[in-house]
Amino acid sequence: MAMPSTNPATYTGFSALKLIGTALLPFALALVVAGVVLAMAGHNPFDVYRLLALESFGSSKRIAATMAAATPLIFTGLGTAVAFRAGAFNVGVEGCVSIGGLAAAYVGFTFVTLPAALLLPFAMLAAALAGLAWMIIPGLLKARLDADEVVTTLMMNFIAVAIATWLVNGPLLAVGSANSATPMVAEAARLPRLMRGSTLNAGFLIALICVLLYWLWGKRTALGFETRLAGMSPRFATATGMNVPRLVLKMMLLSGALGGIAGGTHALGNVYRYVDGFSPGYGFVGIAVALLGRGNAWGILMAAILFGALSTSGATIQLFSDVPIEIVDILQGMVMIFAVARFGALGRKAA
Amino acid sequence: MLDNLIHAALIMTTPILLAALGGLINRTGGIVNIGLDSMMLFGAMTALIVAADNGSWLLALAVAGGTGAFIGGLMSLVITRLKANEIIVGLGFSIVATGLARFILKSTYGVSGTLRLPDVTRLPVIDIPGVADVPVLGAMLSGHNVLTWFAWGMVPAAAWFLVRTRAGLRLRATGAGEKAARSLGLRPLAIRDASTLFAGFMAGLAGAYLSIGLVGIFNEGITAGRGFIALAAFYFGRNHPVMTALGALLFGFFDALQIRLQGRGFPPELVQTLPYVMVIVILAMLAWSAKKRNGART
Amino acid sequence: MTQSLALKAGEARVRLGARGITRRFGALTANDQIDFSARPGTIHAIVGGNGAGKSTLMRILQGMDQPDEGSIIVNDSAVTLSGPAEAFRLGIGMVHQEFMLVNQLTMLENLILAREPVSSLGVIDRAAALKAGQDLAERAGVTLNWHQRVQDAPVHARQILEILRLLYRGADVLILDEPTAVLAPQQIRDLLVLLQRLRDDGRTILFISHKLGEVMAISDDITVIRTGRVITSGPADETSKAQLAVQMTGEMVRAVTPRRAREGDTVLSITGLGLTDGRGIRRLSGIDLSVAAGEIVALAGISGNGQDELVEAITGLSSISEGNVALRYHDVTGMSLHQRRALGLAYLSPDRAHEGLCLEASITDNVIAGHHRRAEFLASGLLRLKAIRAHAEAQLDRFGVRRDSAALPVSSLSGGNQQRVAIARELDGSPALLIACQPTRGVDIHGIAAIHQCLLEYRDAGGAVLLVSEELEEIMTLADRITVLFNGAVRGTLRRGEADVESIGRLMLGEDA
Repeated sequence: MAMPSTNPATYTGFSALKLIGTALLPFALALVVAGVVLAMAGHNPFDVYRLLALESFGSSKRIAATMAAATPLIFTGLGTAVAFRAGAFNVGVEGCVSIGGLAAAYVGFTFVTLPAALLLPFAMLAAALAGLAWMIIPGLLKARLDADEVVTTLMMNFIAVAIATWLVNGPLLAVGSANSATPMVAEAARLPRLMRGSTLNAGFLIALICVLLYWLWGKRTALGFETRLAGMSPRFATATGMNVPRLVLKMMLLSGALGGIAGGTHALGNVYRYVDGFSPGYGFVGIAVALLGRGNAWGILMAAILFGALSTSGATIQLFSDVPIEIVDILQGMVMIFAVARFGALGRKAA
Repeated sequence: MLDNLIHAALIMTTPILLAALGGLINRTGGIVNIGLDSMMLFGAMTALIVAADNGSWLLALAVAGGTGAFIGGLMSLVITRLKANEIIVGLGFSIVATGLARFILKSTYGVSGTLRLPDVTRLPVIDIPGVADVPVLGAMLSGHNVLTWFAWGMVPAAAWFLVRTRAGLRLRATGAGEKAARSLGLRPLAIRDASTLFAGFMAGLAGAYLSIGLVGIFNEGITAGRGFIALAAFYFGRNHPVMTALGALLFGFFDALQIRLQGRGFPPELVQTLPYVMVIVILAMLAWSAKKRNGART
Repeated sequence: MTQSLALKAGEARVRLGARGITRRFGALTANDQIDFSARPGTIHAIVGGNGAGKSTLMRILQGMDQPDEGSIIVNDSAVTLSGPAEAFRLGIGMVHQEFMLVNQLTMLENLILAREPVSSLGVIDRAAALKAGQDLAERAGVTLNWHQRVQDAPVHARQILEILRLLYRGADVLILDEPTAVLAPQQIRDLLVLLQRLRDDGRTILFISHKLGEVMAISDDITVIRTGRVITSGPADETSKAQLAVQMTGEMVRAVTPRRAREGDTVLSITGLGLTDGRGIRRLSGIDLSVAAGEIVALAGISGNGQDELVEAITGLSSISEGNVALRYHDVTGMSLHQRRALGLAYLSPDRAHEGLCLEASITDNVIAGHHRRAEFLASGLLRLKAIRAHAEAQLDRFGVRRDSAALPVSSLSGGNQQRVAIARELDGSPALLIACQPTRGVDIHGIAAIHQCLLEYRDAGGAVLLVSEELEEIMTLADRITVLFNGAVRGTLRRGEADVESIGRLMLGEDA
């Protein structure tokens, strides 16, 4: 199956202006469409958007909430982007979020005697490894057999959620708990909060470090260089002596690990356990983040913050007005659609 | 017990089968439809509204199918004319549809999640006199509504359409060899759009089956990912209508089974994963045999 | 419509032709004042090597591309073709090298696609379809399994289907682009018989080929083109294979560059190499070949005689059925390209756009790819961008790549400069052996001289070169030894001095030198 038309790998970064333009256009179009929906429902879209902006960035508390909401999206956006860059169309980060979150929670409530200095890293490592392991099968199938990774990873998502649901309903169900959830993780396993009265936690710092590492990986490492070339032209990469299947596998696994970390920070930083319905589509929004950010490290960060702003302001706007929070889902989905649409194709006749 | 299970399996098969046949036609034409679930969702919602408002189940079906087709048409245009990636667009449509459905429920009906309307006309059940009491056969043939009969009727119809009609041949040519089709003067994009309209129509009907056929209400989670199970079904069936129907039947059986397994100690969630696992296994096997065939180049 | 066209075609003197057709792509003139006339009811061959401008001309004759100057002649009058559909309306149909068939459909379904005989309600009339197919096949003197899927059908059957489909759709001018490239000898004979039969039936055939034996066997008229120009055009019985070979590849115009380097150790040694492909067709057999340090060995031959397969075998891009490949006395038969590169192999791909370069990536990236893990460019796990940029600039200067900025995509360069980028990368780090495939394809005249100079300097510094080229002139200019491939086997090897165009031409045609 073909890669998305806006393969981030093709963006070489010599025109920052163009990057901003191509990233803003989908967002602007999504605002227009959602504005029509709002207007039809009897809301003034401009008022709603002003309120959204205010609720996202209006105060340091709101900004902190936005960053907290952006945290998992940064990881899933980066996770999607590394696979895309290698030419692997991985839509399975969503499943890794669940598996990673469950693994982190499991470690967090099981090894409660460990000190924080050990337990927290151990739990995060478990999350990363679980996410990585979840991508072994689709990764191998793609790298060795060239099996359609879109379908395999999509299917892996459903399997991941179902398995996690089974585990939290049975073997890992908290004693005395009626709803499908694991026990709470130990205090020592929780990511420290960064600000009083806000859910913003150390996970955000890890996310920023990952953005930096991703940038470094893309710009300054041999592996990142090879991945970029392999994604753009597998034949060229092969002819210059690179092992393309192995690169693809590595990036699929890395993609899974980042998805796992997304789940880990969500479990250890926000919910402190794994509950049924753990991920509100972090992995899927991550695809939109990667696409909107055009695979660029800072673009991904910006896009994740944008989506984080949407979800956090959507949650509070519901309290202050009668605008349903779902306007955020509509916006997110629209951005995803417009991010891959090529409006230049309209005037052209198909070749 | 067995009768019950057969009956339940068939009931759960219908929505999967309807959407899978639509997706099959769509994929034959060259589009992998990831957005079936969104079309199903809106079919379910509009069917319920029309069935309550107007009271005609036939009109409700028409509107549900039409709504699905409309969403399918939009999705298709983005894919064929704006050259957008079908997977991303399909996922995007699923996200938008989920949000929009809830948005509409809240804005228009002031309810959250579930819509109950008075006087919903349900799909009529067709009973064949004398069959209902026959063991097994009765479970298979009686107590099903019009859409179940329609869905199974569409299986041979789709097979016949693809092989024997001009439109079916052109559809297959478009999906399997766009360049060749275009070189002969066919219009692949238009043919593709038509196939997505049909997929949307079928998915819309599948949604109507869930809302006015099965439960009589609408819920934001009513599809329970059946659009994706339908995807698994036509991948499982490798685009053959009969094999796809078998896949849908198998997945419908799993669905019925997991309901029955609840409270019996066997985890129903794991049964639910079977369709997805089977698709991965089948894709792996296909890729492996393709690799063996192509061989040489390392 | 068809009736009147046939009448008109019968009366016309020129069924299909060109008058002064010129087509430029930037600095490159692909077609330069092309003239030819295909008379009705004849087979007219268009002969030329790769890059001669044949495909551009074919696209123009199909209406897929418009000439900058000149016009297409159909039935004695100038016409403008808006596209293949328009060409088809005038009775002109084409069989492309890449078949326009839908592999998953049956032969019969492919035949009738888009022109299906239908009964009521759009239901295909299968009996009528089958009868139409059988009638066509019978008239053409061939048999086809109509219910077989195209993907299961042998290549020659697919080709016959393409031809019959043109007839089914009413074409009476058939353009065939390198139709025999994919066929075995017996199948070629059958195809030629079929084409003659169609001609005798009144059809006009434009036969594009570089296989001179076939061209001489069936053509009534022959037009030779080289570097976009018509070299000669006239009746087939007024020329000969040898003459065509010279006209096609160009005569030697340049003085031989004197040798400076002495031959050294054997760098590449191939023994008993053979290859049978996935379809069971024998591609290479019993090849023995060696290249020593300080010499250029050229692999000559008409394209499709095993050059690509041999190169893939030497580079390790594909595995072989039997025999051995040794690089500097190491047996590398089972090794990957990466391992072979580590032993001193360099590979200049014939497919510059997809394999030789990564067009979307920057010039610097293209120069450095494959060398980026060298210690000087990688310090404690990080790429040393400054050193990389400096090295790339130095390499680009050394090979005279004219550029605005090395940070721009390599696609922004002209063909000649692009090729120099690839050469700059491959000759970096003094490899022991360079496999140089079509090093000057699509490069302008100045670029060619510069690239030749690079190769000679590399040889004189003690490098070993295996040159694969379809340009005889290039081979005569550069090579110390010339090995001619024919039909997947070595037909003969000539030393510089004993080689002349005629003897090489004979070897290329499978005759004795």
